[in-house]
Amino acid sequence: MEIEHIKADVLCVGGGIGGLMAAIRASELGAKAVVAEKGNALHSGKGGGGCDHYLSYIPEIHGPDMDAFIEEMLQTQQRHNFEGLGMNRIRVHIAKTFDIVKMWESWGIPMKYRGEYHYAGHAFPGGFRCLMKYEGRNQKPILTKKALEKGVEIVNRVMVFDLVSDGNKVYGAIGLNTRDEKIVVFEAKSVILGTGGISRLYPSPTPGWFNNIATRLSLTGDGRAMAYRAGAELQNMEMRIQHAGPKYYARFGQATWIGVFRDPQDRPIGPFVTKPERLYGDITPEVNKNIFLEYAQAGKGPVYMDGRGMSQEDLDYMMYWLPHEGNTPLIEHMKADGIDYLKHPVEFMTYDQGSGGRIVTNEEGETSINGLYAVGDELANGVSNASVFGWISGENATLYAKGANIPDGKEIQDLIDEKKGLLEKIRGQKNGPDWKEVNVALQQIMSDYSGALRTEALLDTGLFHLKRLKQKALESIIAGNQHELGRSIEVLNMIDIGELVFICSKERKETRGLHIRRDYPLTNPRLNNKVHIIKEVDHRPVTEWRPTQK
Amino acid sequence: MPPIIDDSKCTGCGVCAEHCPQDVFFGSEIKKTPVIAFPEECWHCYACVLDCPVPEAIRLRTPVPMMLSYR
Repeated sequence: MEIEHIKADVLCVGGGIGGLMAAIRASELGAKAVVAEKGNALHSGKGGGGCDHYLSYIPEIHGPDMDAFIEEMLQTQQRHNFEGLGMNRIRVHIAKTFDIVKMWESWGIPMKYRGEYHYAGHAFPGGFRCLMKYEGRNQKPILTKKALEKGVEIVNRVMVFDLVSDGNKVYGAIGLNTRDEKIVVFEAKSVILGTGGISRLYPSPTPGWFNNIATRLSLTGDGRAMAYRAGAELQNMEMRIQHAGPKYYARFGQATWIGVFRDPQDRPIGPFVTKPERLYGDITPEVNKNIFLEYAQAGKGPVYMDGRGMSQEDLDYMMYWLPHEGNTPLIEHMKADGIDYLKHPVEFMTYDQGSGGRIVTNEEGETSINGLYAVGDELANGVSNASVFGWISGENATLYAKGANIPDGKEIQDLIDEKKGLLEKIRGQKNGPDWKEVNVALQQIMSDYSGALRTEALLDTGLFHLKRLKQKALESIIAGNQHELGRSIEVLNMIDIGELVFICSKERKETRGLHIRRDYPLTNPRLNNKVHIIKEVDHRPVTEWRPTQK
Repeated sequence: MPPIIDDSKCTGCGVCAEHCPQDVFFGSEIKKTPVIAFPEECWHCYACVLDCPVPEAIRLRTPVPMMLSYR
């Protein structure tokens, strides 16, 4: 494979909302900003299909007390997004949201509904409504255009999979071209990881399928895997996250649906609404995402999202927003199959979203490695978060890059040779499992040994089995072309993350949230305000407990 | 699951193949009807349908395991 070199002051890995916002800011501050995107930035990432709600605080609407807004927000599913980040970070984020709203509006993303800022969904009746409805279906093409206008270089179809670092500073990254037989070496003074969450570690609602997931099958935790291998700290990797949505058509947008969650006897399963309410939705699953699974297991299901009794205007309103939330294909399916939502309640289910961990960063967005930043789902979930911290990290990475330089080290060449060797080895392997076979094996191990129930014995057994899978995958995984090579590297990255989930699960000897240790059923209050850190020291994982940032 | 292309309408402009974030159309060439190389990797994001300049030249079929459950 030939090697191409690209130089940058700020390299943004991943052209999602976080990466594009970072690159736009870096470029307007004078940095040479490059975005490396394994798909195409126009539609890639979790926000690639759109989004219809933006967490934002406007004093004129919510009142002058921002902390009251934050307190309300933390009672919704946002508490998972911000868990373990500390109040200072939350305040920085929320205070910046209105600026980004105005900026996006000026760039052509419609942030108003019928001429006004409009808040609805993800809300308790009577409380603050924290999510602004916006028309996000074209957010990615608009941000991509803006990035190009600002002079950002976007390199599509290049999957960055390892960082060049001495364990203290980052100097760049290595990627593979997913179409042509090329390796791309980025010599970068700073690197921003906006690589998304991890979607294929646990099984989807459809056995053996990878595409039936609410996020996207190309989001495979590449950033956290490469950050860990470079020596950066990760946190709370054992914590699991779930999402809820329509049964068998796994998608985001639960809060865009208007109706009441009801059991088969038409009884509401939650205490919040008894009839369809367009401004609130039914927030019950945000209190407990597992509720659909619990109802099923208790023989009380199925649970339906029931829109019967709503007005045609409310239905039109819901159908107006669902496409912005990326649900056009779902609507098309309903139309094609003649599913009239005014008459037919739709079953909902709990999806397993995988590991909820994140890369440790400070309030500047910088990781424990100098010059390396993390944004978007590598930091915290949501478009609002990705855009705000993309912007902040773009600024800070630019400042950092001004004083940084890239050494001509033998270590860099050694790393390039090593990675080139790995890629060529995989391309040369024959008669082994392809990425899908390895991914199925990974999912069954994660689900059986580090899933809904965990014990020391299960975790030990699963980790041993996973290490065998890793060895076998490295020795025999096959890839007939560059696309499959990328998918293979994704699976290897996920195996690395899977190992960390096991190690951290073993070390968290308590039950907390969805981390259920049958052998440690108590929630240990001594760990209430602690984050669980893991990093690699001398090629071995080391964990520690650290107080949550202020 | 796979996108369905109407050969009689497709102009081979390559937009779907270029825009698909999953690269479902890997290996496609301009001026030819796109190849659906990895149908099982389609996430139904609709980028190809929305961005295609020719009406009804491309559509998506909902895979049967993803049929909504309703009553």
